[in-house]
Amino acid sequence: MHEFSMAQGIMNAVLETAEANDATKVTDVVIEIGKLAMLNPEQVKFMLSVLVEDTIVQDANIILEDIDVEIKCYNCEYEGVGNVDDSDHYAPMILCPKCESHRVNVINGKDVTVKSISIEKDDE
Amino acid sequence: MHKVGDIIVARNIMKANKKLANKNQEKFDKANVFCVDFVGAIGSGKTSLIEEIIDNVDDKIGVIAGDVISKFDAGRIESHNVPVVGLNTGKECHLDAHLVGHGLKDMPLDNIDYLFIENVGNLICPVDFDLGSHMRIVVVSVTEGDDTVEKHPLIFQGADLVIINKVDLAEAVGASTEKMVADAKSLNPDVQIITSSLKQGKGLDEVIAAIEEFRSNSNN
Repeated sequence: MHEFSMAQGIMNAVLETAEANDATKVTDVVIEIGKLAMLNPEQVKFMLSVLVEDTIVQDANIILEDIDVEIKCYNCEYEGVGNVDDSDHYAPMILCPKCESHRVNVINGKDVTVKSISIEKDDE
Repeated sequence: MHKVGDIIVARNIMKANKKLANKNQEKFDKANVFCVDFVGAIGSGKTSLIEEIIDNVDDKIGVIAGDVISKFDAGRIESHNVPVVGLNTGKECHLDAHLVGHGLKDMPLDNIDYLFIENVGNLICPVDFDLGSHMRIVVVSVTEGDDTVEKHPLIFQGADLVIINKVDLAEAVGASTEKMVADAKSLNPDVQIITSSLKQGKGLDEVIAAIEEFRSNSNN
């Protein structure tokens, strides 16, 4: 529901990095979205398509990558990728894949990260 | 002609909020204030609960009341003669640590024992935004439907106390309080769950005791 403000945060990170590197154009933006972030990737993409207008990011490929949920199970001490039941996309349930307990500590999978950008710049 | 290059950005958009949340918590700890964040849907009873607690404890309480555009809740709480800061999020569906940080400028932390933060009515977005509180209470009412808990697993998994409110109306709206308790237990096996009818005063003492106990266990 807060895709717009997230998209603004993403755009700020992209533009600041592009400017710091004297980019004339951004060709690719790679964004990682944790499966537990309360964001709909398609909506993030749509918001970005609005925000990039008339910027050097305008023609960039926006590449969204899912980040798996990593857990530590309090019940059986399993550590690793958790099972995400995304029958309801906006509110995934996390289970330990080994003992099916909900009693898990989420170590990774909630974040949104701008991973990298590809740029073009003028020859000196 | 142009050169092409790949640049690692590695900028975590969520971490910015987490950092500010930690900053807020440092401020609370320094002033020896225990901060509780109240989350729940619109009409679940968050404001009433806060009002009831204020009227029934001797501790000094300050309140940050978040709302999308109105200041009604802040006004209601103000009438109980406690320091209140109303925060309007404008277009946003949740409070974030940055906004709370702004609100703290007008909150006399040195003169209070507890800071209550009433989040915007929403069971989805606040999951992503830590505010720096020591304890998160999720309030859900039976009138929202008894499938509300299982439909919003993440907010209940992150709760330190779950309050199932308006249980006196369960029969009238055809909701099963037992199902909601069982769902909350299945999602968050260790969490304390209190069933309440705050309008009748039922459950209030348990809530107050639960907050005090949580505070003494976390040494804040």
